[in-house]
Amino acid sequence: MAIRKLVAAGLTAATLLGTIGLAGCGSSSSDQEENPSSIKIWYYEENDSALGKAWSQAIDTFEKETGVKVEFEQKSFEQIRQNASQILNSDEAPDVMEYNKGNATAGLLASQGLLTNLDDYVSQYGWDKIITGTLADTGKYNDKGVMGSGSWYGITNYGEDCVMYYNKDMFDKYGIAIPTTLDELTDAMGKFVAAGVTPLSEGVAEYPLQHLWWQLVLMKADDDFIKAYEMYDGDVDWTSEPIEYATKTIKDWVDKGYISKDSTGLKAEDAGQNFINGTYPMFFSGSWWWSRFTSEMEGTNVTFSTFPDADKVVGSSGNIWVIPENSKKKDLAAKFINITLSQEVQDTMGNDGGLPIAADADKITNASDKEFIESFDNVLKNNMLGFYPDWPTSTFYDELNASLQELVNGTSSVDQVITELQDNYNKGVEDSGYKD
Amino acid sequence: MSTAIVNSMDVPDVAGGVTGGGIALPEGNSTTPRKDAGYSMTPDEYKKIAHVKKNRTVGDWVIIALLILGGLIMLFPFIVLLLNAFKTTADYNSTGPLSWPSSLSFSGLETFWNRVNFPQKLWNSVWTSGLVALFAVILSMFNAFALGIGRVKGRRWIILLIMLANMLPQEALLYPLYTMFKAIGLYNNPWAIVIIFTVIQSAFGTYLLSSVLDTFPKSILEAATIDGASRWKIFKDIVFPISKPTLSVLMVFFFIWTWNEYMIPLAFLVDNSSQTIPIAVSSLSGDRLMDVTTTAAASLISILPTLVFYLIFQRTLSRGVTAGAVK
Repeated sequence: MAIRKLVAAGLTAATLLGTIGLAGCGSSSSDQEENPSSIKIWYYEENDSALGKAWSQAIDTFEKETGVKVEFEQKSFEQIRQNASQILNSDEAPDVMEYNKGNATAGLLASQGLLTNLDDYVSQYGWDKIITGTLADTGKYNDKGVMGSGSWYGITNYGEDCVMYYNKDMFDKYGIAIPTTLDELTDAMGKFVAAGVTPLSEGVAEYPLQHLWWQLVLMKADDDFIKAYEMYDGDVDWTSEPIEYATKTIKDWVDKGYISKDSTGLKAEDAGQNFINGTYPMFFSGSWWWSRFTSEMEGTNVTFSTFPDADKVVGSSGNIWVIPENSKKKDLAAKFINITLSQEVQDTMGNDGGLPIAADADKITNASDKEFIESFDNVLKNNMLGFYPDWPTSTFYDELNASLQELVNGTSSVDQVITELQDNYNKGVEDSGYKD
Repeated sequence: MSTAIVNSMDVPDVAGGVTGGGIALPEGNSTTPRKDAGYSMTPDEYKKIAHVKKNRTVGDWVIIALLILGGLIMLFPFIVLLLNAFKTTADYNSTGPLSWPSSLSFSGLETFWNRVNFPQKLWNSVWTSGLVALFAVILSMFNAFALGIGRVKGRRWIILLIMLANMLPQEALLYPLYTMFKAIGLYNNPWAIVIIFTVIQSAFGTYLLSSVLDTFPKSILEAATIDGASRWKIFKDIVFPISKPTLSVLMVFFFIWTWNEYMIPLAFLVDNSSQTIPIAVSSLSGDRLMDVTTTAAASLISILPTLVFYLIFQRTLSRGVTAGAVK
């Protein structure tokens, strides 16, 4: 009897504590601290990466300009991905941090009221003049957390896009020219197959093949299709040409031997490694590989181009800076964000192999990096960014990989794959409640 | 994304391999039961037994071969880890994960050591795992004394209730725990981890110990009571000394289990300075890229302390396992 009472008392206490905790969440007002002496900044980029170097320079500049001490912590991507909402809902939240763009991440937190609305800072600092077009879409979220419209919640300061990487030495060895059009690309792949070399490095277990699939969709897609697919603005027609074309082309390329059937179990890291060690002469993937290829393939002639004949390419803004609603030093946080967009910081990023959005091309000293940035500048100028295929729902990344695996190893036909994708997409969008 | 999943599974995997390696000791295990046969033997018989070693049947050899094979399979992840931990990235790029390193490189180890401030993480892990092992054993002992020796009414139900802490998936516990610990101001505090895992581990300890103590010979307790021993004295001088081997086994398990915990520490330890080793290892995988050789080196160095701990306590472990069999 006594023990039962004890258990009951314990449960009551636990429930009580729980309710107090919940009440605490709601009442967090954002009284701003006057003349703060320190500011907490988090990001999860490697120290020796382009972003890491640029941002640590931004921290130095910030400390010099404001005299405020920066308490910086390099967090792990996993920790932020899994626990961002719990951390931001507590007193442990930083004052400004890097966060993943997209509906399921920044959009969700914005809709929960955990992120600060940055509209005032945007007009104060004129950020909307630097971040324009498709770059801006990933910083704005509506009240449901859908990107593309509404208020500003995140500010990016770099970009990323997918390009075709070529191992020029292998092309030369087989006497094949680097393709500049889609026809030349398929020709080149055919020649490699004839010479007994599988041309495309792929990893279907992770993002590489779905990025290629989306690039092929973008070859035929117009803005309306992309808006419908990414921002639920209208219905996605899964029987339309872009989807049919992309899925059929992948199947065709597998049948012709351009893509190895053995790549179904490979991850992105494997696909990258197979390109680095010269097993395959081509790899379609993101700009995040660039600095690795230049440093780890020394002695090999690596070139790149945006996908031949493409008007839209896979890519978007980089991750975004957000200011948690619980921060008591928002003005300083905004000042820091502004420094990351400054010319000097952007140039540093460009010189280390990153893709700055406001750099001065003349300040980039390394010729190949400069070429890489100019290619991206061109993408920005022509508003060519077409986002990523897995953004619409939180489970679509895995579902897309699974369907493409079936396509590549031949267990599903093109039509079966499209139907499966359509079902998963519709179910995911419905479950998320983004659409009325 | 999926790299993370692989990562979080890595640690228990390897631990499994390690304990497996301990079990697969064919020599020791296959001979001990014969030596311990309960009757006395003539010198001749002893000689015969010594001869058995030389006259192993085909069946014996098959079993030994299978055991060695099993041991190798369990050691496989560990071997891959060893191969890759000391490779350079360039070496890994050109030859893949299963080849012998072309030269010994400590760069992966060095990168990880400096990047996460390894000594600090090591201390954090030792501190939390050590405290949890200690507290959980003490708590289990007291609980089990009450439930096993004290014969509280409805003790099966109580044990079942306590076991819930262990049986519920941690995902289900996460949010309630977060809310509770935030309310009492222990969010982002290593003591939260100590408290949570003391409870979770002692749930298992209570279950195990109380079923052991349930079978404790009543006559001894009665004799002690007649001699005028208080409950505390019975606990301290009779039950505790006899349970010691079991307790030390529990302590080793609690230490290693807590060491390998990933999800709850990741959720509760916000500051880098308070994080434990598995979290530090996971921090090596980025959004889209990963560094294989550094991750291998990190995984290797992160399981070494548990290995050392296991080896130190291995003697008490085997004594603990056979403790019941002697008397």
